[in-house]
Amino acid sequence: MSSIRRLFSAVPAMPAAAVFLVVSLVFSGCTQIPEPQTPSYETKLEVTETGNKAFSEDFPLHYQSYLNNKDDTRMTEYAGSVPHDKHDGINPLPKGYKHAQPYLKNLWMGYPFSYEYKRARGHVYAIYDILHIDRINNYSEQAGLPATCWNCKTNKLPQWHETYGDDLWAMEFHEFRTQVDIDDNTIGCNLCHDPRNMELRITSAPFNEAMLRRGIDWKQASRNEMRAYVCGQCHVEYYFQDKAHGPAAKVTFPWDNGFTPEDMYEYYKDKGSTATPGFEGNFVDWTHAVSKTPMLKAQHPEFETWIDGPHGAAGVTCADCHMPYIRVDGKKKISSHHWTSPLKTIEQSCLQCHADKQPEYLKERVLFTQKRTWEQLLIAQENSVRAHEAVRLASEYEGERHPDYESLMIRARELTRKGQWFWDIVSAENSVGFHNPVKVMETLARSQQYSAEAVRLAVQAANYAIGPELEGDIKDIVPPIMEHSRKLQQSQAHLDSHKWLQYLPLLPPAEPVWDGQEKLR
Amino acid sequence: MPFNNKWFLVSIALALLIITYAGAGFSMRATDKPPFCGSCHVMNEVVRTQQRSIHAKLTCNECHAPQDSLVSKMIFKTRAGMRDIYVNTLGTVPDVIQAEPATKEVVNQNCKHCHLMTVLNIDMESKAYCTDCHRQVPHFKKLPIDQRRVANE
Repeated sequence: MSSIRRLFSAVPAMPAAAVFLVVSLVFSGCTQIPEPQTPSYETKLEVTETGNKAFSEDFPLHYQSYLNNKDDTRMTEYAGSVPHDKHDGINPLPKGYKHAQPYLKNLWMGYPFSYEYKRARGHVYAIYDILHIDRINNYSEQAGLPATCWNCKTNKLPQWHETYGDDLWAMEFHEFRTQVDIDDNTIGCNLCHDPRNMELRITSAPFNEAMLRRGIDWKQASRNEMRAYVCGQCHVEYYFQDKAHGPAAKVTFPWDNGFTPEDMYEYYKDKGSTATPGFEGNFVDWTHAVSKTPMLKAQHPEFETWIDGPHGAAGVTCADCHMPYIRVDGKKKISSHHWTSPLKTIEQSCLQCHADKQPEYLKERVLFTQKRTWEQLLIAQENSVRAHEAVRLASEYEGERHPDYESLMIRARELTRKGQWFWDIVSAENSVGFHNPVKVMETLARSQQYSAEAVRLAVQAANYAIGPELEGDIKDIVPPIMEHSRKLQQSQAHLDSHKWLQYLPLLPPAEPVWDGQEKLR
Repeated sequence: MPFNNKWFLVSIALALLIITYAGAGFSMRATDKPPFCGSCHVMNEVVRTQQRSIHAKLTCNECHAPQDSLVSKMIFKTRAGMRDIYVNTLGTVPDVIQAEPATKEVVNQNCKHCHLMTVLNIDMESKAYCTDCHRQVPHFKKLPIDQRRVANE
């Protein structure tokens, strides 16, 4: 009996609990799930704000995430953020790395890229690194390269372009050395965001103009498209415009025909003013010192590679994988501003869509593509070296030449140029094939074919007499050049150390004029 | 006194029981539904994608809790709810929320439960989960990220 009474005494508590639950449910249950609304901001910053630090007060979490770009210690299998000489496969990090292309200096002979070419670090090092790279001539009052090189290095570029107009590009690089703060003016906030409200925006005139020529106005772009366009301001192939075609040395994107290596190669055919027989009117970055071939240099075409790849074609953008949402400071969700390989953030980057897969499996799939791309890239690289050597031998052959010698040599040089262009498109691209596995493999296949055909034509031009000299391992025919720099080129002993280096002019002895932002003499 | 004291007590008890029963039933149903689950901001995305999917008219727990008996549903739901409350308030919410192995099992059972006639004469051992092939079903993961996730949620 007492137990029944106890039961009854508990009865009044039950409806009370039920009522409480119902009331709380009614309140919480009324919550509507909002449509995804990008947060809007109103800052006190001016539209012209350039400094990165200025944004840190309003956006401490994003700024902290951005500062994570200082991490230059983590490699992935084929790439990563540790700067090292990309041709050095002998020394361990930080000098070299196990996956290296030993012929980079050979292939760029006669061009500043042969002096120094390192794996790039994060955006926060852009100014420090360009001030210390040997590609810029620091031994002279003339940098040898125009102010164009500041593009995509500093957040002050849009402001300078506004001040000087298109005269900016051909100005002296050294003139701007001391006009930037190494940390506050490196690649940063204002290049992609409107400082007043943090809306995504384009500040690169070259990107804007190239897209307009393709009939695309970024101001009409969706947010999804903008999440790729802001990156496409810099992660693209570009060239310094020939002055016969517009403002001298202006950064220009070769996209008028499309985004494939073939499209861009065709584009360059009438964008220059060279008088070299067989190449009249072609745009030429430099003439290869050994084979005297008018060359093109490709620059990190991530945007062009991604755009018709499996992810790009499906509308998955750069930011989706490279700027995954992360929870910081307890619970707050922000886009990561640490731009690096998504192989370091597979759970956040890949599993966002590939929810049914395990991180380890996804990593293996990426490496599956990269391993095969890397193997073919090395072969394409060696084929290119053989093409230059064949053209060199044929051009110096003094025996009886083929009746069509001149036209065969023009074709041999054209295919040497083309083969190296197709190799470089993949070599300079950041994903080792992942951004577009099939297009990249096709590009490398073509590179190998063009270079092999160049060898065949050169051998034919010399009436097959140089054939034996081109047989065997390329490393025995043309050893990789491991050491080369502006300083070394001041030494005759260095130029005598390799048969290809003999084609370079001896530079007069000189000491550095600039060390970073310090003028030494 | 017009009412027998005993009958008065019994009718009060009966009324309370009905209120409790109805309240519990209402609560049970309400806490199965997307608006309730989505009232925690970390669940905004999954509700948003569910609302655009072919299963938009179902409640969350028609897939995410066992349907074989009320007891197993209660146990599973209570445990999942407690864990979610703990993680959301005191723990660390993962950057990307994924279903746990136990949930994946339950969801898979529920696919087969509703689509019984479809799977009746199919060998269901070919793949571990229905969604291994029907990849568009779970929360519309193929929707562009900018249409389902935003900062601050």
